[in-house]
Amino acid sequence: MATLDLINLTKQFGTVTAVDAVNLSVQDGEFMCILGPSGCGKSTLLRMIAGFEMPTEGDIRIAGDSVTHLGANKRPTAMVFQKYTLWPHMKVFDNIAFGLQLRRLPRAEIARKVEEALALVSLSGYEERYPSQLSGGQQQRVALARAIVLEPKILLLDEPFSSLDAILRVRLREELRRIQRRLKITAIFVTHDQEEALTLADRIAVMNAGRVEQLDAPTQIYDNPATLFVADFIGAMNLLQAQVSGGRIVLSGVTLDAPPGLQDGAATVAIRPEDMALLPDAAHAGAWRAVVEQISDLGHYRRALLDVGDGTLKIYLPKSAAVREGAQVAAFPRRYLIYANGGAPREVTRALPAEALTV
Amino acid sequence: MTPAAITPSFWMSTRRSFAAAMRRDGFGIIALVVLALVILGPLYSVVLWAFAERWQYPSLIPTQFGLSFWEQTFARADIQRALPFSIVLASVVTLLSAVICLPASYAFARIKFRGRQALLLSFLATNAFPRFGLYVSIAVIFFRLNLIGTVPGVILIQLVNTLLLMIWIPTAAFQGIDRSLEEAALDVGASPLRVFIQITLPMVMPALSAALLLTFVNTFYEAQGALIVGLPRVVTMPVLMYSLINSQLVVQYGAIVSFVLWMPSLLLLLVANRLLRGGYLTAGFGV
Repeated sequence: MATLDLINLTKQFGTVTAVDAVNLSVQDGEFMCILGPSGCGKSTLLRMIAGFEMPTEGDIRIAGDSVTHLGANKRPTAMVFQKYTLWPHMKVFDNIAFGLQLRRLPRAEIARKVEEALALVSLSGYEERYPSQLSGGQQQRVALARAIVLEPKILLLDEPFSSLDAILRVRLREELRRIQRRLKITAIFVTHDQEEALTLADRIAVMNAGRVEQLDAPTQIYDNPATLFVADFIGAMNLLQAQVSGGRIVLSGVTLDAPPGLQDGAATVAIRPEDMALLPDAAHAGAWRAVVEQISDLGHYRRALLDVGDGTLKIYLPKSAAVREGAQVAAFPRRYLIYANGGAPREVTRALPAEALTV
Repeated sequence: MTPAAITPSFWMSTRRSFAAAMRRDGFGIIALVVLALVILGPLYSVVLWAFAERWQYPSLIPTQFGLSFWEQTFARADIQRALPFSIVLASVVTLLSAVICLPASYAFARIKFRGRQALLLSFLATNAFPRFGLYVSIAVIFFRLNLIGTVPGVILIQLVNTLLLMIWIPTAAFQGIDRSLEEAALDVGASPLRVFIQITLPMVMPALSAALLLTFVNTFYEAQGALIVGLPRVVTMPVLMYSLINSQLVVQYGAIVSFVLWMPSLLLLLVANRLLRGGYLTAGFGV
């Protein structure tokens, strides 16, 4: 239970910069997700915090104290790995007790702590099993117990559930959140799965090419992606090339209003599928005329692909929407973001015309 | 029913099931029989000769069994000296080989250095060419160093033999261990040395004990090197067996000595079998 500060943290492998001058402050008890595509440097970042990689530059501080020059075995961190890393020649009990034995705790206290840790991950009574006798999900729970039994200041998790099936992944995710809240432990969770990050994190750091692109609460990340990369990476997004000129945004097939002060030039318009409304086929200002190309039923909502002449738009519809494939419609963006010149996006929201099919 | 009534149908069913088995696993059965003959045939002959007082053609088994040749063999001073010496020598060579080769194989497995592959392959060199030539040229060097006929000389030449096994098997074993298992141990606070002793070593133990075992047995049987470098003062059991067979044509001596030479490997194999079955070594490997 402590704060974590990464200051100008950099890691180079030869000429490749894996982590590029990252500054990040994690608060006491916070659940921070580091999200990014594979190869973005997120695992390297985590391994530097754990002490498995030495930073080329920068400082790592836990509770204010620099740990940059401490070995992995001397740091107050504990890690749950992506692979199954229980020691195969030790029983579950010994796997969890190993770190405690190294700290020379009395036997009775070790037994009590192991029991508590196993109870916390709902595996009481599994002390005498060998790792090979456990399922993948159980092994990762034991790995979690092995990490938290040491009461680390920072809990590190490197895609711990990525090799589990979808249902188990969701269940363990919830369990992890419950345990983390209960212990009020500071946790850093690395993942490439945005859904995992959005549901787990207090804050998400989205990484790309060794840098943190955006650090924000999940809602903020989703609603106001700070960069085009984040807009594209998080959730589904329609990204459209546009030209800004004289207060208008000209896209293929439609012209939208530009927010005041937007400079003329090339821009990208980003529209979430759920921010698009369907109108009956007619000419509307700032709406595409489109043909419904395909409708997929996705349980609680439907996804439609609209053919807008020289491109496809993805939109989400409520189940009740009475639209059929092949129908002529108008697609009306209610909210969109404009990215231009690498600066912060400009947001535009519009009132929905009365005849919209969606709510 | 009388036995007489049972017998024909019994035989018929046996024949039927044998025919069925032959159809099913014909190749397997033939291979088994051939293997049994090839492996057990010589053993059978040696064991019988070792306990034979008299065995004359054309009898299939010795005409008289007895232990008098055992008494004669073990009464010989050369045997009394060579047997314990051979056991100690093989143990020392195995131990030295482990001390030299295990750190080397860990380095081969874990550190990427220039010329790693070439160096690893170079250990094949001693096994790729006729050993005798190698030994003779080594003996020339040893002669200058006054190592001929000395125990250190024999130890050195036998060490050469053990390198391939003691480096290749542990290297493969160390490579088979996922690094993150070691990292996980570091992470909970174990020092690198402790990680090696308590995590890495136990996991490579099955392969390691196999390498140690094979090294001991190979060294115990090794004759060419010991013959060239050791004689006349250092005489191991296999070397003694050569001279016994060459000098006197008492088949029993040879049979008894080879019987005795089997004992350590048989014993070690039994121990290894116990270890592997005991679950201690294989626990957690899903065996």
